[in-house]
Amino acid sequence: MDKIKNDFTGEIINIEKIAKDTCKMDIFSSLKQAYAGQFISILCPNKTLRRPFSISNLDNNIITILFKLKGEGTEYLAGLEKKDKVKFLAPLGHGFQIKNKKALLVGAGIGIAPMLFLKKNLEKEHIENYFITGFKSKDETIEGSDETVIGGSVLDNLENIIKEKNIEIIYSCGPVPVLKGVCEISEKHNIDCQVAMEKVMACSIGVCRGCVINLKKNNEIIRASVCKDGPVFEGKEILWD
Amino acid sequence: MGLDKLRTTLKNKEHILELKTPIIGASGTYGYNDEFEDFVDFNYFGAISTKGMTLEKRLGNDGERIFEVQGGMINRIGLENVGIEAFVKEKLPVLKSKKIDFILNIAGNTIEDYKQIAHIAQQNDIKAIEVNVSCPNVKTGCLEFGLNSEGLFGLTKEVRKEYDGFLIVKLSPNTSDIKLLAKAVEDAGADAISAVNTLRGLGIKIDFDGEKFYKKSVKGGLSGPCIKPVALYMVEEIRSAVNIPIIGMGGISKLVDLFEFISAGADAFQIGTANFINPSICSDLAYELDDFMVKNNFKDFEELKRKIREA
Ligand SMILES: Cc1cc2nc3c(=O)[nH]c(=O)nc-3n(C[C@H](O)[C@H](O)[C@H](O)COP(=O)(O)OP(=O)(O)OC[C@H]3O[C@@H](n4cnc5c(N)ncnc54)[C@H](O)[C@@H]3O)c2cc1C
Ligand SMILES: Cc1cc2nc3c(=O)[nH]c(=O)nc-3n(C[C@H](O)[C@H](O)[C@H](O)COP(=O)(O)O)c2cc1C
Ligand code: FES
Repeated sequence: MDKIKNDFTGEIINIEKIAKDTCKMDIFSSLKQAYAGQFISILCPNKTLRRPFSISNLDNNIITILFKLKGEGTEYLAGLEKKDKVKFLAPLGHGFQIKNKKALLVGAGIGIAPMLFLKKNLEKEHIENYFITGFKSKDETIEGSDETVIGGSVLDNLENIIKEKNIEIIYSCGPVPVLKGVCEISEKHNIDCQVAMEKVMACSIGVCRGCVINLKKNNEIIRASVCKDGPVFEGKEILWD
Repeated sequence: MGLDKLRTTLKNKEHILELKTPIIGASGTYGYNDEFEDFVDFNYFGAISTKGMTLEKRLGNDGERIFEVQGGMINRIGLENVGIEAFVKEKLPVLKSKKIDFILNIAGNTIEDYKQIAHIAQQNDIKAIEVNVSCPNVKTGCLEFGLNSEGLFGLTKEVRKEYDGFLIVKLSPNTSDIKLLAKAVEDAGADAISAVNTLRGLGIKIDFDGEKFYKKSVKGGLSGPCIKPVALYMVEEIRSAVNIPIIGMGGISKLVDLFEFISAGADAFQIGTANFINPSICSDLAYELDDFMVKNNFKDFEELKRKIREA
């Protein structure tokens, strides 16, 4: 029988705790290419549905994901060890559309995961960028940005950064209130903005319509799936609940 | 494709549905089938039932649509679909050109809606339709038809008048007497019954942050392995009431599930939620079933069914 494209079995080559309730997992598989903002969806045998995670790096067939412990699915993953196998679908969805514009990257909480990959890709293309992250507390902090806000809101300083650094585009990932704030600020300053959304998923490949959000395009409301049409969307197209 | 033993014929009088294998992708878990190619090998599918199609395009429900529960999930998609006109214009040519066998799953608010879609199916030479009279996720419409036998009889009869292909009616498990419904459907001229649709369910999640409780809840249709015993019960009840073929579904995810459904009275199967865990589950199951039959010298699927039912 033909092997299904996009369906992978990988081997964990490293798993470690990198912050409070946060793990980093490196998976070796035959997946060679992916774009920042795309994700993988991992089978957790103790759960009915797969669990989606952003690709935080992909290098020499090694995918890195960062995940926060939330419930049974992520607890299962955190309990895995080196050499254990994981099954996943990848690479899923549409990632960030890299523009040759001075970029501001905003990652809130575990939303840092895809932004690390994006930063690397921007740098490969020599695109100037500034990366700001925000975490609830010091022990939850993950490294890799140019500026880290601990405790407060990552949004507070954005307008200053935009002005000081002549930012032309914002890319962001994090909880909805942050993404919404980022979109509002970019609209106010009339700059482009792309955000990575999250929604509970069932199929994770665009067929069940379980993960839709509302977009406005040409004055019409349309439903877009986060898993296939997204997870990255143009900020100005999103209709927030 | 080398799975000759799995050829399945569903037959009611002059109406016949030929299937490459008895394994069918369940409605709502394959979209319109044309998007799934990167993930599945359609050669091993008997057919795929499309997302429920209504006369007009529908946006479906707002808010959270998926809630995971132990052994299953609750969905409240609310029949989001492109509408029959767009289906015929955009999706049908793709399905036909790729020679993907499909069953058109249809839903409506009024008998008139169902009649019109059935008419369009007839005009477009669609080989089989599955009438969803039992969606638990929309406020009005199909739900009511699905729950009383007179309404269901009338609806099936009207659809039959418009449509001369293979007519399947899909029943809801959310009823106190499924035998009455099944009988009504058979009497009204349906060629097969598929069962079951999702069960009504409510998922609640309560979180506590040390000070306050937070609630998340989703009310909708329950599917997946946890509904299998209910589905088996329903299929057996239906079998005791009618002679037309039954397409059994509800929580199927492995080979022995197929045997259990055969034992309860099913002649073919649909697989829904399990696709979300393993997108190639339908072809995997077809393959395993074939392998089992070859290894154990079963001549064909009919013989396998007979032997299982003797147990
Ligand atoms: C495109 C995308 C990318 C993501 N990337 C990351 C990442 O890089 N790192 C990370 O830590 N988390 C990420 N998440 C969130 C992550 O998928 C959830 O935290 C995880 O599924 C929780 O599973 P659980 O069983 O541990 O918790 P549960 O107890 O099942 O759920 C806790 C919460 O997680 C969310 N969740 C549960 N199931 C799903 C599901 N099937 N799909 C989506 N969300 C779900 C819900 O909001 C739920 O309330 C991403 C989600 C999406 C949609
Ligand atoms: C996300 C989702 C969407 C569904 N949409 C439809 C639909 O449009 N029409 C229909 O007749 N059944 C629909 N169903 C029901 C399935 O076809 C099937 O009857 C049910 O899920 C039980 O099978 P399972 O346990 O294998 O999933 C849907 C089920 C799910 C999970
Ligand atoms: S999870 Fe099924 S469409 Fe996105």
